[in-house]
Amino acid sequence: MSLKHKGKGPQALTANNLREGFVVWLTKDMTWSADYEDVFLSEDEAVIEKMQAQGEVDDHANLITGVYFIDVDPATGLPARYRERFRVKGPSYDTAAYLAQKGTK
Amino acid sequence: MYRYDEFDLDVVQSRVKQFRGQVERRLAGRITEDQFKPLRLQNGLYLQLHAYMLRVAVPYGTLSSKQMRQLAMIADKYDRGYGHITTRQNMQFNWPELTDVPDILQDLADVEMHAFQTSGNCIRNVTSDPYAGAAGEEIEDPRPTAELLRQWSTIHPEFAFLPRKFKIAVTASKQDRAVIRAHDIGIEIVRNDTGEVGYHVIVGGGLGRTPIIGVTLREFLPREELLPYLEAVMRVYNRFGRRDNKYKARIKILVQETGIEDFKAQVDAEYATLEPSDIAVSPEEVARITAYFAPPEFEALSDVNVEVNETRKSDSAFNDWVENNVATHKQAGYAIVNISLKSPELAPGDITSDQMRSVADLADSYSFGELRSTHQQNLVLPHVKQADLPALYKALVEKDIHAANIGLITDIICCPGMDFCALATARSIPLSQAITERFLDPARQKAIGEMQIKISGCINACGHHHVGHIGILGLEKAGVEFYQIKLGGDSSENAAVGDVTGKGFSHDETVDAIEKMVDFYISKREEGERFIDAYRRLGMDAFKEVLYGTA
Repeated sequence: MSLKHKGKGPQALTANNLREGFVVWLTKDMTWSADYEDVFLSEDEAVIEKMQAQGEVDDHANLITGVYFIDVDPATGLPARYRERFRVKGPSYDTAAYLAQKGTK
Repeated sequence: MYRYDEFDLDVVQSRVKQFRGQVERRLAGRITEDQFKPLRLQNGLYLQLHAYMLRVAVPYGTLSSKQMRQLAMIADKYDRGYGHITTRQNMQFNWPELTDVPDILQDLADVEMHAFQTSGNCIRNVTSDPYAGAAGEEIEDPRPTAELLRQWSTIHPEFAFLPRKFKIAVTASKQDRAVIRAHDIGIEIVRNDTGEVGYHVIVGGGLGRTPIIGVTLREFLPREELLPYLEAVMRVYNRFGRRDNKYKARIKILVQETGIEDFKAQVDAEYATLEPSDIAVSPEEVARITAYFAPPEFEALSDVNVEVNETRKSDSAFNDWVENNVATHKQAGYAIVNISLKSPELAPGDITSDQMRSVADLADSYSFGELRSTHQQNLVLPHVKQADLPALYKALVEKDIHAANIGLITDIICCPGMDFCALATARSIPLSQAITERFLDPARQKAIGEMQIKISGCINACGHHHVGHIGILGLEKAGVEFYQIKLGGDSSENAAVGDVTGKGFSHDETVDAIEKMVDFYISKREEGERFIDAYRRLGMDAFKEVLYGTA
């Protein structure tokens, strides 16, 4: 997937962190968060360029992998693509959640 | 069961060491992700939608109780307390961290397991009949052949970078429980007119975006020619397979484009250039491998156990379980027990670490310590005394793995779908759960009879939807999931690809659509007719009318 964004509207930068593999998004202080609440959005080309540079630096520094821009729906604040919304919300069903709820394994 | 010799041990241990070094170099930035990705994939490690996923090989679906306990330990120590049985009899872990994977591979190696060739364009883990060594009708145990293929194909240098992945399945029974006709190569162990045992070789089957039922390449291949002949097939594929287009790179496309007769001629020409004795293994080596699969020491018992029959009369739940989950064993007084991993609470094929330990204990108590995984995403205890069935059932009830639904409408094959998979276009787990919920009543399931629903969350068809009696394909348009329905697929020895009914349905409509078709089938069926039989007799138009009304 190309890092360079080709999308419309607000852009967010996402990746997986290299060591754990979990989904992360770039925050406003140019760090990475596993919580989508912290996501940084921009439509400003100059800022988007800075975001891209940060992504490349952190990819090179082996903090993250598979970094790319996503479109965000301004109305909901959530990613525009269905698949990306799953990366935000996590699985709608996970046996791990079932086990946690039951309090057993 | 097969036990590693010093070569197997050395290969697996050195691979763990090698991967540990590769991970260290990746984390230190000495290799890039582009360089690392093929290395991790060669060790079964994917990066999925939310996290890494590790796919552990379970060769021909055979597991010891010790191995199952180790998988439970891995699930608890490094993952989130469960594993997932795949449609290729393997076990996946959905949440491992990269930094732990070398340790996981070491823990696997300690019990003679690994994750090689569960990814990549190589010969994948060989699958087989989960009833191997127990089915009455089998010509011989297919696992020595599967093991021979495992040894031949493991890290085979010539076939490490094929045009595309390559899947082989082996069975030795007429009744096909390994879907051999939907494999790149399907091998059926057969006996010829003179009583000699050899191989019926089927080629060019597969599911995915272009579903094709395999065709016969050799009616009868003498036993000693197996490896040289397959080597010739692989060489023809390796040379002529379409490397220009990923979607046309499987052997099924090559066979279709070449034509089976010409393809066969190419294989024969290649075979003529080989020195078979350089490739074939000696009868002594075959005997050595076969000895590992010698039947356990069965007691001399007789069938028709009075105690079991009495319990069946007095306990209808037990009776239903025996009827659906227990199959005939070749040894008098024994039975094959299927353990369903299709409960309404868990995703199809998921098994918790507690359940893994329980089935391992049950395998030790009741089945010579042996377990099988199935492509239907269930487990099998292959060798259970009929007299032990009531006690075994009681233990399964205590652990909540007693669903009596094998082969019924709630025994759904289902891929992880959009909930986990990076390739998926729609979810499949919630739909399987909604269908299960709708048909939960055991009496209703029993009345419907044999039914195979198979759900895939994208066209890659890991959920085998092309060969489901009812197949469901999840798609997405503008952020909304919808499901295409196929009818008339068959994964058995009468393999067939289903036909699309027409326009897709929303999630809720799909459950209703299935119910409508099931009700229609029940109203129209003739004596002894399964859904698939009724579909074949009544035809697509009748079912279309049920789904869409008259135009």
